[in-house]
Amino acid sequence: MDILICLEGSVSSASAIGVALAIARSIRASLVGLAIVDEPDIVAGAATSIGGASYRKDRDTALLEDAHARAREWLEGFIALGRAAGVSVRTLELVGRPAETILQEMQQHDVLLFGRDVNFRFETQEHDNYTRDRILRRAGKPIIIVPENPAPAGSGVMIMYDGSTAATRALRSFAASGLARARRIHVATVDDDGSNAFEIARQGCHLLRSEFGIVAEPENVVSAESIADALLARRAKLDAGMIVLGGYIPSPLARLVWGSVTHAILQSTVVPVFLHY
Amino acid sequence: MTPFWTVVPFLLYLLLIAALPLFWGHFWEPHRNKLLVAGVLAIPVVVYLLGFHPDGAALLFDSAREYVAFLALLAALFVISGGVYVRGSFAGSPAVNTGFLALGAVLASLIGTTGASALLIRPLLRANEHRPRSRHIVVFFIFIVANGGGLLTPLGDPPLYLGFLRGVPFTWTLHLAAQWAFVNGVLLVIFALFDGYVSRREPIRTQRGGAPDAPEPQQPLRLEGTLNLVWLLGVVATVFVVGTYGRHWLASQTARAAVQIAAMAVLSALSLASTPRRIHEANRFSLAPIQEVAVVFVGIFITMVPALLFLAERGASLGITRPWQFFWASGALSSVLDNAPTYLTFASLATGVASGGGQVLSVNDLGALAAHPIGHQLLTAVSCGSVFMGAITYIGNGPNFMVKAIAEQHHVRMPSFFGYTLWSFAILVPLFAVVALVFF
Repeated sequence: MDILICLEGSVSSASAIGVALAIARSIRASLVGLAIVDEPDIVAGAATSIGGASYRKDRDTALLEDAHARAREWLEGFIALGRAAGVSVRTLELVGRPAETILQEMQQHDVLLFGRDVNFRFETQEHDNYTRDRILRRAGKPIIIVPENPAPAGSGVMIMYDGSTAATRALRSFAASGLARARRIHVATVDDDGSNAFEIARQGCHLLRSEFGIVAEPENVVSAESIADALLARRAKLDAGMIVLGGYIPSPLARLVWGSVTHAILQSTVVPVFLHY
Repeated sequence: MTPFWTVVPFLLYLLLIAALPLFWGHFWEPHRNKLLVAGVLAIPVVVYLLGFHPDGAALLFDSAREYVAFLALLAALFVISGGVYVRGSFAGSPAVNTGFLALGAVLASLIGTTGASALLIRPLLRANEHRPRSRHIVVFFIFIVANGGGLLTPLGDPPLYLGFLRGVPFTWTLHLAAQWAFVNGVLLVIFALFDGYVSRREPIRTQRGGAPDAPEPQQPLRLEGTLNLVWLLGVVATVFVVGTYGRHWLASQTARAAVQIAAMAVLSALSLASTPRRIHEANRFSLAPIQEVAVVFVGIFITMVPALLFLAERGASLGITRPWQFFWASGALSSVLDNAPTYLTFASLATGVASGGGQVLSVNDLGALAAHPIGHQLLTAVSCGSVFMGAITYIGNGPNFMVKAIAEQHHVRMPSFFGYTLWSFAILVPLFAVVALVFF
């Protein structure tokens, strides 16, 4: 398997590298490190005062040089870490808008992996939720999101399954990726009716066994808490080291109005999340 | 009467100066294209003045003289301040930062807002490099050093120097000390409180092991290129002496301007010759900004001639007659267009409003406007509006964008154009409302 990992200098990115190396070792995957130089945003047109054009040019040149230097530094560091871990790694430095560049490049790879709080537009922005959310909304392939400093957890995996098309796609995608190998798998369903939840979870387990030969345990979750909180609490109880979900990241406005279980889980999770929409 | 259509090239040119870098940056970059735009818009104005206006040739000549004198002073201040370098660093605590900004407010009136900004921004950024949040420091630097501080002398801000070139006495701007002290004082107090609040909430940076970072060794502050201070005194003395006593020695305005221009050229040359290369390199000094100013202002000085006549002729009929209206109107336009031509536009309007009762004021002699009881109030409002409100956006005054660009090179993530405008609407606009109530 070929995992594309997006590199950047933050703690979040360092955590993502750690998780990627661990996954690559366990399933003999190869890693491709991608560093992006966000030239379009750096040199984007801006209103300048009279006499400001030369300062603008100097600023653009300095930020571009800095972005290239940082990209090279991260890629070299990534190669060194890969060698030390005995993992096959390759690197790529691409110039372009981060979201579009990643969405295009990920089509060449099986899985995309990056840190939850990475800032690909580090030269011009304080935070970069835009790139992350755009990738999550547009990606047609599986993505692993790694939180900053993941909590130590067992090797188990909790698949969130509600019987929907999205959840089924994520379950199949995860099973096909090989990431389920030698892991204890739980399929969890939330419902006010415990027996109904158990039945749906059991169907998910059956699908895994019949299509992929993977044995999984059904988990029914009945809770007065929100769906996200209930699932995260069950994950903690099971000590699962990864969450799988087939969610959808709505726009910020839609999130404000209707909320989003996927977004809430991504924001609060302390273990990596495998997502396929 | 000057026809309205002759004002259109001036308005269009100011709009293009603001909009072209944003929407067509690559076109606007070469000076050739800037001259092309200026030329296209200047042609109808020149044709009108030379072909249809009785004093057109003389007006164009006056404007050309004013342009050269204006540019000579800006270039001299730019070159000389670029030869001074503040080496070393200081602790970027809220109290020291506030003191530094206060120093900048005073320096801005002595060496111009551009000179003071170029001189002080890098030491301030170095002093605050260790702080995770420092964008507010740069924002307040733009408010105070790059704008508000320059109100006290004609050297402080280009609009005031344009007024001086049109006859406003050198010491007249000292009458604005109360407004200068009020605005900069309030901004310094807000900054001190805000920086203190931010500083208390900043996380203590730690090494990977968890131990607090050792404080970085600081070099004592040291001024290099101090010979330039002598050249700077020369600039101040020349402008003051020629502006105040020149009429007694030289009757011709052109002769006085020639003396002043020659003195500025000599002082600039002395600065360039006497400044060690390492200082220019440390300041990343280049003549490119002043070349851009020279190119862009060619168009302004030509196209504004009929616009100023139009406003002076119809001032009273345009509905802007009270000082507070002049303050807000000149300020609002200064925030999105360059504040130098905006100042002259509203000063011309003020001559139209103040003229009456047998006294006719001239747009070419703003000294008479400054001495007129109503004109004095209007010119005070225009001066304060143009200088203070140049801070409202990044494009209101020349040094604003320079400071932003230098800060970003030092990895301070500055607010976007609209983000910065939110800062100024939250802090400056309420403050200016108080200024309008108290002073106008």
